[in-house]
Amino acid sequence: MHTPALPRLLAIAVIGSALIVTGCAKPKTRYGDAGSVETVTNQFGSTDLQMLAEGMSQSMLSEAPAISSGNLPIVTIQEVKNKTSEYIDTRAVTNRMRATLQKSRKVRFATDDADMQKQIGEVQRQQSEYYDQEKTAQIGKMVGAGFRLTGEITSIVKETKEVKDVYYQLFLSLTNIQTGIEEWSDTKEIRKTTER
Amino acid sequence: MKAASLATALVVALAITGCGTKKGFEKPGFAFGCPIGESKISSMDDLVKAKTAKEGRQQADVEIEEIRCTTTGDLLKVDVVVFNDESDVERMLYKFRWSDAEGMRAADEESWKPVLLYGNSRQTVTTIAPNTRARDFKFIIMGQE
Repeated sequence: MHTPALPRLLAIAVIGSALIVTGCAKPKTRYGDAGSVETVTNQFGSTDLQMLAEGMSQSMLSEAPAISSGNLPIVTIQEVKNKTSEYIDTRAVTNRMRATLQKSRKVRFATDDADMQKQIGEVQRQQSEYYDQEKTAQIGKMVGAGFRLTGEITSIVKETKEVKDVYYQLFLSLTNIQTGIEEWSDTKEIRKTTER
Repeated sequence: MKAASLATALVVALAITGCGTKKGFEKPGFAFGCPIGESKISSMDDLVKAKTAKEGRQQADVEIEEIRCTTTGDLLKVDVVVFNDESDVERMLYKFRWSDAEGMRAADEESWKPVLLYGNSRQTVTTIAPNTRARDFKFIIMGQE
C-alpha cells in the first residue's frame, strides 16, 4: 500500500520552519544600564528623575550658603507637590537627592513627616521593661531640623496630531525654620518632544 | 640711581613675563584650576584631551573647547564649554566620572544626561564634585542615537 508521505513531510517542514522564523514568539529579557537615557514615551521617566535630582543636589551643594559653608545643617524634607496631570512619585526625586546629599557629608536629615510615626513608635517601644534602659533611645532627645526642603513640580503639555510637547519644571526651596528666611531656591526644567 | 633703574627694569620684566608662570598654570599640579597630577599639560588643548573621554558606538560630533575648574567651599567645581561647529542640531549625552586622590572611584557612576546643541552654538556644562574625596574627574561624552 503506497501512502503520500512526501507532501505530509513537506507540510511538517514548512510549519517547523515558520515556527523557527517567528522564534516561537519567546520574549527576551536582558539587564540594561540604569543610567542610560530612556525615551520610550514622553511621560515622566527615569532619566527625568535622575537629571532633576542630580541637578538639584548639585545646586544645593554649590549655592545654598547653609550647606556650602560646611556647617553640616540638619534638614527635613517636606512634601514636593505634584501639580502635573500625570502620576509622579515626587518622593522618589527627594529620596535620590537625600542619598546624594548625605553621601556628600555636607547635610544631615532629620526624621520627616512621613517617617515620624515609625520613629516615635520605635522610641516608645524601647521604653518597655524588656530593654536595658541604659542602652535605649530616650524620649525627648530627638534633634529638630534647622531647615525644611519643599517645592512643587509642574508641567505644560501641548499636543497636535503630529507633535506632543511636554515641559516639566521642578521648583525647590530651602527655608530656615527659625527665621522663615528662604536660604536657597532653584528651578530645573526639562522639555521633551515626540513627533509621530 | 643705577641700582634704582635696575630694580625698576627687573620689576617691569617680571610683570611682563608674569613671574615666569603661564596663565592657568600658577598652581603646581593644576591647569586652569583643574587637577592634572603628574600629567604633562601645557595648553588648554592638552587639558581637554586629558580630561575628556568618548564612549559608545555613536560618537558625539562636538568640540570640547574649554575645561576650567575652581572650588566652592572644599568641593571641586567644573565648567566645560561644548561647541557644535556644524549648522545642524547635535544631540549628545554626558556624565562626569569622579576619582579620589589615589585614582579610586570617589562616587557612584552618574546617569547619562542629554544635551541639545543648536547649530554653531556653545553650551557650558557645569557640575560640582559629589563629595570632598572627589579630587579628579573625566568628562565622558557619547552621541545620542
